[in-house]
Amino acid sequence: MTSSAPFRRFSFAFGTTFAVLYVVALAKDLALITVFPSLGIILAGTHRSRDVADPAMGFLAPAIYWYGWTTTAALGALVVGLVAASIPKGSTRYNWEGMVWIIPALSMIACVYLTLPWFRL
Amino acid sequence: MATALLIVHGLVAVALLGAITHQTLAAWGAAGARPASFLGRFRSVPSASFANAIVFLYAASTLLGGIIYLYFRVDVRPELERASHWHVLGFFELKEHFAAIGLALLPAYWVCWRRPLANEPTQIRTALTSMLAFIVWWGFLTGHVANNIMGFGS
Repeated sequence: MTSSAPFRRFSFAFGTTFAVLYVVALAKDLALITVFPSLGIILAGTHRSRDVADPAMGFLAPAIYWYGWTTTAALGALVVGLVAASIPKGSTRYNWEGMVWIIPALSMIACVYLTLPWFRL
Repeated sequence: MATALLIVHGLVAVALLGAITHQTLAAWGAAGARPASFLGRFRSVPSASFANAIVFLYAASTLLGGIIYLYFRVDVRPELERASHWHVLGFFELKEHFAAIGLALLPAYWVCWRRPLANEPTQIRTALTSMLAFIVWWGFLTGHVANNIMGFGS
C-alpha cells in the first residue's frame, strides 16, 4: 500500500504546526472566538472580563476560550498544511517526518508549564 | 441531555481506551513476546486494522467532550472552584490541551498506519500511537476524577 504524497505532507505539517500554534495561542491568549455558554453568544476574538469592580461577574457569564485557541491553531495549521501539500516533491530538503511527534511532545510539556499556575492556588 | 451525552462520551472513551491500548502494546511488543502468555495474546492484534476505529472514536469522543464542555463550564467548574479543587481543574485544563493536540495528530497517525511508505520505519507510528494512548488515558482518568470528585473527594 502506498501513500498519497500530498496528503502525507499535509497531515504531517498540519499536526506539527497545530501543536506549535496551539501553545502560542494559549500563551498569548489568541482565541479566534470566545464562547459565553450561559448567555448563548459567541464573540470574535479574545474577551476577558474587564469588570475589575466586581470580578465575581465572571461567575455569571463564564467564558470558554478553548474553542478559540483550537480554531486559531487549526486555521494556521490548515494554511501551512496546504502549502506543504502543494510543494512539489523534492523541491525542499526539509523533512517534517520526525518532527510530527517530537514537536507535539514538546508542546504538551509547554502546556504543562502554562498550566502550572493552577497547581499553585 | 448533559447526563445522556456524558454517558455516551464515557462509553466511547472506554472503547477508545481498549483499542488504543491494544494497538500501543502491539506496536511496542512486536518482538520478543511469548505468544502463549496473556500479554502476548493481548498484543497479538492486527494493529493497522484498529487505526480507522481509533480515528473515529477519538474524533467522536472529542466532539462529545466539546459539547459537554459547555455544561461543564457553566454548571460544574464554578462548583469545583468554590470547593477549591484547583488541582483537578489544572489536570482538566491539561486534558483539554492534550485532546486538541491529539486531534490534530490524527491525520498523520492515520497515514502512518493505513498509507505507510514502502520500507517506512515504524518508529514514527509507534511514537504517535504512544502519544495518543497517553492522551486518551490522561483524558479518561482526569475526566473520571472531575466527574466524581464532589462525591468521593469532598
